[in-house]
Amino acid sequence: MALLLALLGILVILRKMSFWGDGIAHASLAGIAFGLLLAFNPLLLAIVVAIIFALLVYYLERKTTLASDAIIGVLFTALMALGIVILNFKAGYQPDLMSYLFGNILAIKTSELYIMIICTLFILYFLLRYKQQLTLITFDRESAYLAGINVNLFDLLFYICLAVAVVLGTKILGIILVSALLIIPPSIAKLMAKSFKLINVLSVIFAEVIVISGLIISYYFNLPSGAVIVLTGVVIFLALVVIKRLKFI
Amino acid sequence: MKIVEVKNLTVSYDNNIVLSNISFEIEAGSICAIIGPNGSGKTTLLKAILGLIEIKQGEIKILGKNIKQVLDKISYVPQRFSFDKTFPITVEEFMALSLAKDGSRKLIAEKLQELEMHKTKNQLLSELSGGQLQRVLIARSLLNNPKILFWDEPISGIDIGGERTFYQLAKHLNQDHKITIVLVSHELDVVYKFANQVVCLNKKLICQGLPEKVLTPDKISELYGPVSLYKHQHHT
Repeated sequence: MALLLALLGILVILRKMSFWGDGIAHASLAGIAFGLLLAFNPLLLAIVVAIIFALLVYYLERKTTLASDAIIGVLFTALMALGIVILNFKAGYQPDLMSYLFGNILAIKTSELYIMIICTLFILYFLLRYKQQLTLITFDRESAYLAGINVNLFDLLFYICLAVAVVLGTKILGIILVSALLIIPPSIAKLMAKSFKLINVLSVIFAEVIVISGLIISYYFNLPSGAVIVLTGVVIFLALVVIKRLKFI
Repeated sequence: MKIVEVKNLTVSYDNNIVLSNISFEIEAGSICAIIGPNGSGKTTLLKAILGLIEIKQGEIKILGKNIKQVLDKISYVPQRFSFDKTFPITVEEFMALSLAKDGSRKLIAEKLQELEMHKTKNQLLSELSGGQLQRVLIARSLLNNPKILFWDEPISGIDIGGERTFYQLAKHLNQDHKITIVLVSHELDVVYKFANQVVCLNKKLICQGLPEKVLTPDKISELYGPVSLYKHQHHT
């Protein structure tokens, strides 16, 4: 999961789409709420809502003059509001909801684990198989088009993969913190990398280090795992910024 | 043989007509310069030919076909290549993105060598000067052995030495590899040094054909304004 978000995150930060992660995660609350209300797999419904969100953003980017962040801002608040309204019909404490909001790796059910593995494998295949095309589109859209790449189709597939991956990540970090795993590892890698190959390698390594060390720390100090994972990543990021700055001075 | 055919082309942005009813043809094997003053629609014409912008009306054929059917036979170097300078990508990695198949470092090395840029292959793209970047872009445009090269202001940012290398390279590609070259320039000088066909634009077609025949003082005046700073020179 960390590997998947780290690889997607590189393209996300290079495309300046950092707000996307937050948008999808918050929008997915509508799907989770539907799932809890109907007592039907909330993760699956959250994925459906996230895909609808990605399709709507893709469509509105092309059919309106609004910037992506404005479109995402409108859609995610609308879907989150819808989720809150739906949850209002479900009385009582919702432990499942808490696990989606704040993440709980121990609360992942077997059915959810299967969904996560299948989706992760599909997205990883897509990212690795079409790495060259996705990178060229990110870096130089005109050349990508002239190389015969269907730029719009790849954009759409990338949006869908991103949406699904972020929703899968909510089971670990929660809606509120999941975008951190999308942004922090590639940001750390970008601080250090001197080639595109290296940014990929470092991003994956840091993602794994952050998640594993965060889980160990949270276990020993009995702290919420999602929050500790994010804080571990931020500490590494800040430490590297300081080290780079000191070197510069 | 006509390698590029443009018929009755009109392009507009938000109801402002940028190019009006343009028709011309480019001969295979020629070096064709599309010239005109700044804002005359040269880059728009090039992007329309390449299918990068929508056209309002008209028809464009390359090698007798729609551009989408011949993308593997053309290459393009933009006027300004804007990219995220914080993106950590080396020259070699950048070139490799445009290869049909992954790898082939040898081919990349060859093309960089032709442009005397082989020493920069492990350098970050963001560390190159404007002229160096332009050379790398030209090297990249040669990777797929194109039949037609479209260059938009190819020598902007290149110093005099680099300009000479560029002209030699262009002539070499045209004469020895039989590549048709279509280049856009706002400088009339380029035509005299380099081209054997010219298309003169100022939102509409002013003239086209052999430079020595069509570039009369009247036409130059019409193109660049009544008080032209350019002198009518003989084609060399």
